Amino acid sequence: MTSGLGRVDMGARLGDAEVQRVYSDVEAYYGARVAKYGATPRGVDWSCQATQSLRFVQLLRICDFAAPFALNDIGCGYGALCAFLDLRYPDSRVDYLGVDLSRAMISRARRRFRRTDRRFAVGRASPRPADYSVASGVMNVNVGYSRAVWEDFIAAVLQDMRRTSRRGFSVNFMSDVVAASEAPDNSPETRLYRTSPERWIPYCENALGCSVETLENYGMREFTLLVRCRQNLAKDLPLRH
Amino acid sequence: MGAMIKDSTTLEILVQLNKRFDTESLPEMIELQKEFSVFSNKRSLRQAFALLGIVPTDWSERRRWYKFLDHLKTYPSDLPKVNGHDRVIKAFRDGLAAAAPIPISIKCHSAAEDPRVTVAKGRPVVFTIETHLIVSIPTTPGREVRKQVAEIVRKRRAAKKK
Repeated sequence: MTSGLGRVDMGARLGDAEVQRVYSDVEAYYGARVAKYGATPRGVDWSCQATQSLRFVQLLRICDFAAPFALNDIGCGYGALCAFLDLRYPDSRVDYLGVDLSRAMISRARRRFRRTDRRFAVGRASPRPADYSVASGVMNVNVGYSRAVWEDFIAAVLQDMRRTSRRGFSVNFMSDVVAASEAPDNSPETRLYRTSPERWIPYCENALGCSVETLENYGMREFTLLVRCRQNLAKDLPLRH
Repeated sequence: MGAMIKDSTTLEILVQLNKRFDTESLPEMIELQKEFSVFSNKRSLRQAFALLGIVPTDWSERRRWYKFLDHLKTYPSDLPKVNGHDRVIKAFRDGLAAAAPIPISIKCHSAAEDPRVTVAKGRPVVFTIETHLIVSIPTTPGREVRKQVAEIVRKRRAAKKK
């Protein structure tokens, strides 16, 4: 079985060295973006603050803001979600941890937010369990890898999010049909990963044991999956650092 | 535009604006307006366009672009007691909130012919089939403004010599 679906259905199959290479390339890609565009939406490949925020609106639908909670932000970039939380939910108590592969991004995030409930870590996955996890745009730029390899990478990210989320997590993907002009970078070595909800819903339901709600039709050529955990694995499983 | 920002910047901004509000991108803009009230009385045009990332790529031009947007407050419009700045905001706000929204186009017209910011429905370019909401900004080409200024200075000097 060499199709992307087969690989993912059988679990992430990337070897350690290959995984490390993918993560290194992702880190290099975003390190270069932030060096070029700074701590701005363009620095994390979004066209503007408004579209970046509209994605946060969708992703945060997984959270229950009625009570305090802990949130992991995977691929947090320069911490734009912190500013959004402060603006949109000024009275809510969110214990936030932003995680990113890029040291340059985390360094900028730490400079921007110096609060005890806003913390950041360099890494692949969150070093702690939280009530919820979100990942915005993490799956979009495949940094030149084949679809099969990239889907293994996505499966690994989803597994990590599942493992470290007590109640649920949310992720967004670009839809199948996207104009070429939407590409954040038209250079030939950078390609976008596009998919459909049907591609990842069965994986989240069957392999990760979750229930999934799909958000579409919010004006963008993409969709958001709200993945609710049927069982709290985060309290039982050892964390990978 | 014209005197306040470079002609090349004007062209770049027009391309950005017309791309963000064309048929293809309209659903996104409608959703952004619904969610964040991007165009409203509580937010200046400078803030709205900054939020949408509609800014010159040339950093040195950004300050001039924002200054130009503020300067629109001194322009008249096709609505009585509504200045050019507020007219643009109203056009975007009403257009995006319409029951059947249509694409929005921005274009320029000669300030010498009509000094007002105008809003009308029509086809902005000959190959467009759809009706657009056309927001038109009065503009004086930079070269013309520079000529006018040079002429004023020349006349002043001549008057001084006398």
